Amino acid sequence: MTQFGRQLGIGPTDNTSDQRTPRKPLRLIPSVARESFVPVVPARYVIRTHEWDMTRIAPGRPRGDGTPIEVTGTLRNENGTPIRDALIEIWNANHHGRYRHVEDASGLQLDENFFGMGRVVTDEDGNYRFWTISPGAYLARPDIGRWRPKHIHLSISGGSARLITQMYFPNEPNNASDPMAILMGDGFENNIGKTYETSDLDVDEGYRFDIVVGGRNATFFE
Amino acid sequence: MTQDNGSNLLKATNEDTSGPFFPIYFQDESLEDLTVLGPGIVGAPSGQHIILCGRVLDRHGNLANGVLMEFWQANAKGIYNSPANLGHPDLDSWFNGYGRLRSASGEYKFCTIMPGASDSRAPNITITLFSDGISRIVTQVFFEGHKANETDPVLKSLDTDDQARLIARHGGQTDGGAEIYLLDIVMAGVNETPFFDDFES
Repeated sequence: MTQFGRQLGIGPTDNTSDQRTPRKPLRLIPSVARESFVPVVPARYVIRTHEWDMTRIAPGRPRGDGTPIEVTGTLRNENGTPIRDALIEIWNANHHGRYRHVEDASGLQLDENFFGMGRVVTDEDGNYRFWTISPGAYLARPDIGRWRPKHIHLSISGGSARLITQMYFPNEPNNASDPMAILMGDGFENNIGKTYETSDLDVDEGYRFDIVVGGRNATFFE
Repeated sequence: MTQDNGSNLLKATNEDTSGPFFPIYFQDESLEDLTVLGPGIVGAPSGQHIILCGRVLDRHGNLANGVLMEFWQANAKGIYNSPANLGHPDLDSWFNGYGRLRSASGEYKFCTIMPGASDSRAPNITITLFSDGISRIVTQVFFEGHKANETDPVLKSLDTDDQARLIARHGGQTDGGAEIYLLDIVMAGVNETPFFDDFES
């Protein structure tokens, strides 16, 4: 007999969420099959060494428009154990709110000095660091005037740790009306970077974003 | 960092949608065809080559463009390359069992080898979907004609309609000898694919 788990929420005012969110509750996995549902991502990454600095396309090139920022944090599992050698794939819109992606048809301005994609790997203590340009917010639903707040996408793959999430920015006026933020409820606070001083660095703002990968993966953590 | 009430566990960071613009730039062709190690490299995983292909559809039957799909499976002898199996004699050095692709259109094609039956299970591939509008949904696909489908605990936990939605149909053979299996994944609505709760289970 089928046993049911969570019912996934549909993001308010998010048409794609309405089209793609399963309407039936998730099925619980029979315990004998549980481990089979936990992928292990092999560490075979191809990364260019300069990708940690997304404020410019390559070393020696001019910086993109907007505010250069640093994002740092520690990647851990729910027990607090650092996750080392994990791949973090990062992408964000430019200062004007445009992605350098062939499917971004917004017509917003591209920046010839900003790529908006980079990859870093966590060190042996689970720490990561990258620089980028603070992304612009963009109008996601012109018909109802809903904006997507500034955000940076992060995709984490490390052993059995797998998470795709977004870092949002504090005190942004569009945070409260974002469909995914609404689904997160009070937990949205966890997805907001915390500012720190960067007067000793060649960036204008710093954001601490500690990441905890949880839920399904307890089986294979050290 | 915050903690759960009444628990020593750290509170997990929320999953969030990948949005529509997961970078095509991050594509890794070696994760889209697990039968090939890479250009000019001698060696190959053991097993019958298969191609798992089909469409990912939304609630209205439209293709779910921009979907990111990840695959996870055992090798031809039914052994997963997981830490629990470290040093297992039946591991295949040339097969990790993890694949990934981003489909611009919503149609997909994943080249791999037929997974072996592992423990009490029928051969299967775990599929994780990321896309705009959702955070992450997970299911397992099985293969038409395998006797072990009748006793598989995951299939047995579903009603017959849902079972049929997870069994890929055999669709012939390529000139190169790969067996073709077809499966459409319906994210929502009529004929919705059963998805599993791997957080709460």
